[in-house]
Amino acid sequence: MSIAAAVLEAVQAEAERHPGSRVTKAGLRIGEISGVDTESLRFCLETLVTETDLASLTFEFELCPWQRRCRRCGDTFPVADYRVECGKCGSGDTEEAGGAQMELAWLEMEES
Amino acid sequence: MRVPLERKVLNENDRIAGELRKRFEERGTWCVNLISSPGSGKTSLLERTLEGWPASRRAAVLTGDIQTDNDARRLARFGFPVRQITTGGACHLDARMVERALDGWPGHDLEILFLENVGNLVCPTSYDLGEAARAVLLSVTEGEDKPLKYPATFHHADLMVLNKIDLLPYVPFEKQLAIENARRVQPEIEVLEVSCTTGEGLEAWRAWLERRG
Repeated sequence: MSIAAAVLEAVQAEAERHPGSRVTKAGLRIGEISGVDTESLRFCLETLVTETDLASLTFEFELCPWQRRCRRCGDTFPVADYRVECGKCGSGDTEEAGGAQMELAWLEMEES
Repeated sequence: MRVPLERKVLNENDRIAGELRKRFEERGTWCVNLISSPGSGKTSLLERTLEGWPASRRAAVLTGDIQTDNDARRLARFGFPVRQITTGGACHLDARMVERALDGWPGHDLEILFLENVGNLVCPTSYDLGEAARAVLLSVTEGEDKPLKYPATFHHADLMVLNKIDLLPYVPFEKQLAIENARRVQPEIEVLEVSCTTGEGLEAWRAWLERRG
């Protein structure tokens, strides 16, 4: 719920920078291992938004896969079934390359 | 018209956490964030930690709960500064709560600060508190698959404390499977086996604090 509140605060702050425009849609980028369940977040957003002046705002989610990068061969690969070894060269020496995102990626606005 | 923003949802939290981290480093304070389900033994582990802690090694605890100051009262018995953060409904600590609680307290010369998060394996994961290390507790009365059910929490932890190991003979908990599950989501996670009741493993826990701190 507090993540949803932080999203709406950020949207409101941005809306204030564009007087004369109305925010219609917010794009969120959520990583697979961010700890956020997108359906729960959507529910919280849709509940909280009714109490703001952004009542007609809708949300679009982009799910970002958990990825790691191989330090040996440089390949970036999605982590499937928690396997963190590089699928290409077999090295276990890999590092994070995405999946923990929790970002407000874009807003759609129209003239009001 | 689409306006790109590319901003982190929790960037305000991350900004404050960054300031806290800088402040801790400048003052030589090492900070650890303890995360677990309710009832896994965070407060018990801190009790056992403070019990044997030398008074000369300045330690303090910030403990978070939705309601009551019971944990702060339990921990204050050992003579170290303890402050309760009552979140009033929030299911996690955030950096601002920590910043507020540290305003003018407990002085500048702290060696170690324990942050006992609100009992919850989901939300605390997303909130950086400026800590230097993160420890997650899993007790043997829970499921071995918790690391797989809550991968983000275990993935972002430096240490897993397997607590209540004195109960292993009485519960169908497969210790090795729990450790394997934790390593599947975080290959570099360290693991300690502890019983706050018998004291087993507490030396290793103190050694971990020494080594990391």
